[in-house]
Formats: sequence, structure tokens, C-alpha cells
Amino acid sequence: MAKHTITLIPGEGTGPEILKAVRRVVDAANVGIEWDYQDIGIDCLEKHGTLLPEKTIESIAKNKIAIKGPTTTPVGGGHKSANVTLRKVFDLYANVRPAMSIPAIKRPWNNINVLSFRENTEDSYAAIEHMVSSEVAQCLKIITWPGSLRIVDFAFKWAIANGRKRMTCVHKANIMKMTDGLFLNAFREVARKYPSIESDDIIVDNCCMQLVRDPSRFDCLVLPNLYGDIVTDLLAGMVGGLGFAPGANIGDNCAIFEAVHGSAPKYAGQNKVNPSAVLNSAIMMLKWIDEEAAAIKIDRAMQEVLAEAKHVTYDAGGTAGTDEYASAIIEKMEIVTKESGEVI
Amino acid sequence: MSGEKKIDTQLVGVDVYVITKDGIPRFQDYGKFKCEFISNRGTKVWPGFVSPDLLLVDWYRCRFIATEEATDKDVDVFLSELSEKWLWSAAQKLWNYDGEPGFSKPY
Repeated sequence: MAKHTITLIPGEGTGPEILKAVRRVVDAANVGIEWDYQDIGIDCLEKHGTLLPEKTIESIAKNKIAIKGPTTTPVGGGHKSANVTLRKVFDLYANVRPAMSIPAIKRPWNNINVLSFRENTEDSYAAIEHMVSSEVAQCLKIITWPGSLRIVDFAFKWAIANGRKRMTCVHKANIMKMTDGLFLNAFREVARKYPSIESDDIIVDNCCMQLVRDPSRFDCLVLPNLYGDIVTDLLAGMVGGLGFAPGANIGDNCAIFEAVHGSAPKYAGQNKVNPSAVLNSAIMMLKWIDEEAAAIKIDRAMQEVLAEAKHVTYDAGGTAGTDEYASAIIEKMEIVTKESGEVI
Repeated sequence: MSGEKKIDTQLVGVDVYVITKDGIPRFQDYGKFKCEFISNRGTKVWPGFVSPDLLLVDWYRCRFIATEEATDKDVDVFLSELSEKWLWSAAQKLWNYDGEPGFSKPY
């Protein structure tokens, strides 16, 4: 009998082939997962009349855990992003995005280990926009006291549970004194509850400059939604690109793990793209469901395959396809397992 | 500027930001204005399903749509009647520009 039932949403574009590869790797770790396949995205409009079918929502509500491939959000038009809708429906207020230098991927920085906590439901993502005249558009930036307290508290708790030392609040409170000022005040109030973690704050533009100059000075960041969106992509680029960047969207009762990259429809069906971002998200998911050993095994195998650079995808300097890369990781996991003497 | 195309602007409703600590408000119809939806922190909380886990604050965006042609004077009367029962922080008129909505929908 499966130990865990997890909603699997393949997504769109390259999503299905990525999720197929990731599922193969996770299944090879023998965790005992039953996958509950569900749909999302533009294709659902034709089949179900909505980007986010009720059946998908029900599955996530029941299983509490989901892993999701990328989706496509049309720019403009009347359709809301299925991703943002999911975050809103399940109030997944914490977007957790680790950025760690990958030894096998050569970058100007090799010392990055930054864990970002992005508030995921407020800020200028509250969908309150108006054309207040024919020439002027307005978007309301919503920052609330309880919403700020809970993301900061979540960040400190996660940091302590994962042995982190320092939390930096990223803001622009020198200009947006009410909204970002509220977020910063919430940070200072919560930080007092966690004296074992060093805390400080930095203005967002300075944060970007300091990250590029010396990322090793940062440990954990907690940010309002918009700055979090931008700074975490900056960090993803610094460690190897979006092809490696995992993410988790976490609420009080549900967690959805997903890559942060798009669906790259022009590569769909070509067995070409790098599945590492979703695989890294799956590693986060395995840790979340207390399958630490499987998570470590997959991570170690993936790092070794990347280091050997024989079976890696084009963005990592190789010529392997999505499937070949996944197969190499599975093969490496078997070696790792034999070396450790683990019975499988 | 001469020759510039005139944009057809039509008043179609009002977003009113209501403050209450008594949960999701319920509204009667006010003359030509009928409540279409209520959102909190950008998430629709009426009508339809609301997750019991959803964080609610004391500030609701309440969209009232005009059920027939409405004027600025109608908005004044509506807001005056609304004030008798509800505290509100701001109101934003909703216009269509050349038939296209100049306002977003909630999640």
C-alpha cells in the first residue's frame, strides 16, 4: 500500500515530459507514492471551461500535497493565472525558494546558499486594478499586518528547523512608508521572538546589488510578493538559471511544489528540456513528507550526474535529452544505494 | 488635441472598500446598484466557496454593478444610503472604455 497520495499536475508545454521524468526518478527511490493525476491550464478551458477544474482543486484539498509542472498564463486578456489562483484558493502564503551554487555549473559565483521566503498572496498581486481615467491605470498594493506577521513567522520557524543563522527583511520602506513600513514593522516584531536568529533588513535595490557583489553575506531573505518574485529569479539566474530553480508554495494545510520556470511551449514534445527544477522541487517535497533519505539520495545522484557532465541537458553544457538525464540519475541512485549498503 | 479619437466612457458600477470586523458583509440592493462580488486581500469571498483557512482582514472590496444605465448622481445617492449602515474607506467608479472593462476581476 502506498504511504503517500500526491496530486500530480503535469501542466502544459514541456510540463508533461518533465513530470514524467521526475516521476520516474522519484518512483525509483521507492518511497511508496500513489500519484493522483490532475489537469490545469489552457487545455482545460476546452475540456472543462476553466483553467483550474474543480476536480483538481478537490484532489489537492484531499491529498494536501501536490507537485505541478509549468503552466502558460496568457499576457493580457481576461484569464487569471491558474498558478496565482491556486495560491489564492489554498491560501499558500509562503513561497519558499532555495538558491544554492551547483558545483558542476560554472558561474561567476560559487558561494551562494540563500533561502528566500516570498509572501505569496498580497502586495500588487491582489488583482485590484482600475483604469481610473482613459489615460491612467492604477494597481493597489495591499500589505496587511496579519499577512506580514504570518510569512515572517513562517520564515523564522523554517530557518530554525533547518539550522539557518540569519534572516534579512527586504523592503523599500524608505519610499513606501505605509505598505513596506508595515511589513518591516511586522518583521521587527516577529524577529524579537526568535533571538537565536540574527536579523537585519535591507532596501530591495541595495539587496540586488549586494547579492551580485557578494552573495555569501546573505543567509535567509523574507520579502513581500513583488520583490520576492524578482529577487528569487535573480538568485536563480546566479546559481544556474531557472532550469534548476525549485519552489514550494505552502499554506497552513496544503503544499504545492513546482518549478518556477515557464512551460516553454516551443520545446514541447522534443525531449530536450532540463527537468532539474521540478526534480529539485520534488526533493523539497520529499523532505516535507519526511522522506529525507530519499530526498538526499536523489539529490546526491543528480549532483554526481551533473558533475560528470556526460548525460546532462543542453543548458548544462550537454546533449542529453530529458529522459536520458533522468535515466542517468536513476542509474546513479542505484550505485549510491549499493555504496551505502541500503536494502531496496 | 484635434483629431484625437474620443473614447466612449460608460459608468457601469462602483467598487466600495468596506471596513467591518463582523465577517463577510451581506448587502441589499441599492437602487440601480447590486453587489456582484466581495473580495478580501484580492480573493473572492462571496459568492461561492471560501476556504476556512483563508486569512481575512477587516477590509473588503465590494463590487456593485449598475443594473441599468447609471449617472454620477446615482452613485452619490447609492453611497449616501450605503453609509447609513456601513463604514467604507474609499469608492472607485467602474468605467467601460469603448465597451471594454477598465477594471480587474478578483481571484
